Amino acid sequence: MAKNILMKLDRITKNYTMGEITIEALKETSLEIVEGELLVILGPSGSGKSTLLNIMGGMDLPTRGLVLYGKQNLSEAGDEQLTRYRRTDVGFVFQFYNLIPDLTARENVELAASLVDNPLPVEEVLREVGLENRMNHFPSQLSGGEQQRVSIARAVVKQPRLLLCDEPTGALDYVTGKMILGLLAKINRERGSTVVIVTHNTAIGGMADRVVRMRSGKIIEITENRSPVSPERIEW
Amino acid sequence: MSVLARKILRTIWSTRGPFLAVVAVVVIGVSVYISMTTAFYNLNRSKEVFYRENNFADYYFHVVKAPQEIIKQIEAIPGVIKATGRIQKYLPVIQESNKRATARLISYPLPMENEVNRLTLLSGRLFEKYPQNGNIEILVDPQFARANNLAPNDTVTVVAEGKRVSLTVVGTGTSPEFVYPMKDAASLMPEPDSFGIIMIPHNQAQQILNLPGQINQVVLRLAPGIDTEELAEQVKKILEPYGNLADYAREKQLSHAVLQAELDGLKTTSKILPLIFFVIAAAIQFIMLGRMVKKQRLQIGVLKALGYSNRQIIIHYTGYALVVSIMGALLGTLLGLYFASIISKAYAQFFNLPEAISGVNIQAILYGFILSMSVGIVAGLTAFRKIVSISPAESMRPEPPKSSRKILLENLPWLWNKLSPSWKMSLRTAGRNRVRFGITMVGVVFAVGLLIIAFFADDSINYMLKKHFHQEQRYDYLIRFTSPLKEHELLNITRLKGVLKAEPFLEIPVKVHFKGRTEEDLLVGLPLNVTLKKLHSEKDYPLQLPENGLLINKQTADKLGIRVGDIVEVETLLGIGPSRRACLKVVGINQQVIGGGSYIALDQANRVLKEKQLISGAMLKVDPGKAGQIEEELNKMTGISSVISRQKELNNFHQNLDSLIYFTAIMIIFAVVLGFAIVYNALVISFSERQRELASLRVMGFTAKEVSGLLLKENLLQSSLGLVIGLPFGFVMAREYVRAISNDIYTLPVVIYPKTYILSALGGILFMMVAHLVAAKGIKKMNPADILKDRE
Repeated sequence: MAKNILMKLDRITKNYTMGEITIEALKETSLEIVEGELLVILGPSGSGKSTLLNIMGGMDLPTRGLVLYGKQNLSEAGDEQLTRYRRTDVGFVFQFYNLIPDLTARENVELAASLVDNPLPVEEVLREVGLENRMNHFPSQLSGGEQQRVSIARAVVKQPRLLLCDEPTGALDYVTGKMILGLLAKINRERGSTVVIVTHNTAIGGMADRVVRMRSGKIIEITENRSPVSPERIEW
Repeated sequence: MSVLARKILRTIWSTRGPFLAVVAVVVIGVSVYISMTTAFYNLNRSKEVFYRENNFADYYFHVVKAPQEIIKQIEAIPGVIKATGRIQKYLPVIQESNKRATARLISYPLPMENEVNRLTLLSGRLFEKYPQNGNIEILVDPQFARANNLAPNDTVTVVAEGKRVSLTVVGTGTSPEFVYPMKDAASLMPEPDSFGIIMIPHNQAQQILNLPGQINQVVLRLAPGIDTEELAEQVKKILEPYGNLADYAREKQLSHAVLQAELDGLKTTSKILPLIFFVIAAAIQFIMLGRMVKKQRLQIGVLKALGYSNRQIIIHYTGYALVVSIMGALLGTLLGLYFASIISKAYAQFFNLPEAISGVNIQAILYGFILSMSVGIVAGLTAFRKIVSISPAESMRPEPPKSSRKILLENLPWLWNKLSPSWKMSLRTAGRNRVRFGITMVGVVFAVGLLIIAFFADDSINYMLKKHFHQEQRYDYLIRFTSPLKEHELLNITRLKGVLKAEPFLEIPVKVHFKGRTEEDLLVGLPLNVTLKKLHSEKDYPLQLPENGLLINKQTADKLGIRVGDIVEVETLLGIGPSRRACLKVVGINQQVIGGGSYIALDQANRVLKEKQLISGAMLKVDPGKAGQIEEELNKMTGISSVISRQKELNNFHQNLDSLIYFTAIMIIFAVVLGFAIVYNALVISFSERQRELASLRVMGFTAKEVSGLLLKENLLQSSLGLVIGLPFGFVMAREYVRAISNDIYTLPVVIYPKTYILSALGGILFMMVAHLVAAKGIKKMNPADILKDRE
């Protein structure tokens, strides 16, 4: 099967100014993302993996380098183009869920659904993540795992081609974490979305089609996983 | 409802305290605007309609007497639309109780259709020229009728040409020239029980005053756009042989001037006062939205990550401010219309305007909404820059710590090192949030300033009354004779039991000519050793009456540019006897808080008239125990046209000032709400901003009280500074306010007693503390563990 390249990152560098110091978060990093794959980016904190994810998601622009999404050059995109890209093509799942506290589970998902022309039915997505009985609860009334499931539902409802997850299990316990990973794998498998998971948990690499290892703003290794295991069988 | 709209509503609910506080400020702004604008519009419209329909005169001419045919000659002057000749005279009224009152008798040619200053009947029926029963029929003004319980068919007895004449009341009426029925500019307030307007058919007036075929007043309607001064000169030339006494344009007609002054003041206030509230509402929203955007940084980042555009997010946050505006405008309009109806009711009592003073002014409401919405939009858009500058990726990261800079005070180590850590924290917070600190302080300054405005009118009026009734006027009664008498006739009064002292005076209405310009004035001759009337200079030095020379009234001096040492010419306008002219040297300028008049020695006043020992009235000091008896005796004397009791004048004044208390109360409420809103919101914002810091303190072991003390210090810093600046600022506001609404008729001295400063400061402390107590409730409810667990 010919591999279809969804996104191409070419020698990207990203510098940050935090208060009075400048941090070089990414150093001339290149990566291609294959349509339909489940990619896990591994690395310790500060390795630049989240920065890479943010640039993939159009949340941030590289200081130097090229970001190609299909024929779109995202590295030179304006605010409007990036907004459109995030709106139609990308779904985000964050470590701390980042739900809108003033909106119920259902409304958080509706918030995203209302942005696109052909969203999935909101209740169906919530049922799919196992929240059919918690739809009218506010984030403060949900457990961490439940909040993360709302967050996934919120990302998936837009039917994005690219689902980007930043430490999706980082704030969850073992059992819940595995369940969330299972959900992500299922979405990758059944809906054909390209899923990128950023994590420092090396065990999660086992479920990936490809594993990218990062350290100090650079990719140090990319390995292909011939036989990914199901999340239920991952141990850490 | 869209999800974002629901989010706004929930955000509003979760910030309902500050939300309601800012709504309250907008409500006040809108209600003040709507009530005053509506009241202005209604009063102005009633005035215009009334003036137009009743042909209100553009110009007045008074003569001693002239044949009524003269009107035709005046009407022939190009530019004169209509001239009406009539008789106007002040007559003593003898009431059943024998008390004295004065009536301004005005005659009306019948039929009245096109005449200038036509009447409008308010109750009863119009008088007839020749009633079958031979009565003389009159109309009276409604206030006089009410104050004296006059009903149709009651009679009013006046003294005309030395004879008592009974007049039959057939109804009440009004005309543009006595919308505000005041005797003269010196009276300041209507005294309906002792002064009224009597309207009478022209033929009857001629008969009772023995003026067959005569008039003594000409009123004119003029074509718009003509040179009125030049026309007035032509009319005066025609009237010259008949003794010109006075002439003035509508602007100087007393009733009109008072009404116009009220309208002008209302218009000015309707612009200034709401502006203060709108600006402060905008400022509060500015800091509120600024904080909200900061607090919801992460949420904004998430919305952006989801694909919401900047525009959508800005609209969303502006929406919050717009809800404030709409709620404020709606409630403000309702409250404003209610206030407008109260104000209009008060005006209906004050002013005789036949057209009902009511109505909803759509334009005012529309402007109220527009104003309120603009405030919301402006405040909403101020959050704009911050929203745009938030990068979604960056918003996911915790904000970098604020660059902590030293504040100015730290350069003074001897002071800084003595401060406790909590003071240092509060001071640094203030130093870091200078904009918010500044806005809050300015808000407190205005709130305290408004408190001073609320209280100061009472001070100024009290000062005026005290000065006038206790320092300038030392007499208990002031009596005026129906016509001038010889000085020795005063003995009849001095002889009355209980009269301790009687000092005569001679009042001569005059025109003062100086360098080609003219002003009307009242010349008052007093005995050189006068004790019952005190005169003061502009700078409040006592003035001694000179044997020779004039102590001119400040207003006249100002208008004509007269200075001490100048020579002025006076022309007498007594109306009886020939007009005299005399040159007088100005030896001083006298100023009185109420009333006017220029003073000379009694002998010199007689010399001006080429008379000897003539007096027109007297001031009396009486034994307090015999006052009632003396008043009764005086009222029995026929030669006396009016008896003014100082005590009654004072009471009347106080009665009329009762309504001031409502004004004061409303202003106090407004000022306190404003002060509360701004301090409370600043505290809530500060609390939410420093929640983690305060939570950490709680975890460390600080009590809720200690933590709230920290917030209190910050509150005290900005509010006390605001208070300290607000007190003198209030004086400036009061002075500017008085300047804005001052006019020829009224000017209020800006006097502020320490009591007012103390009350205003107490008011300020009250709203500060209440705001603090309400805001500090959040500290007790705070669960430190929850706050620290969250990533904000």
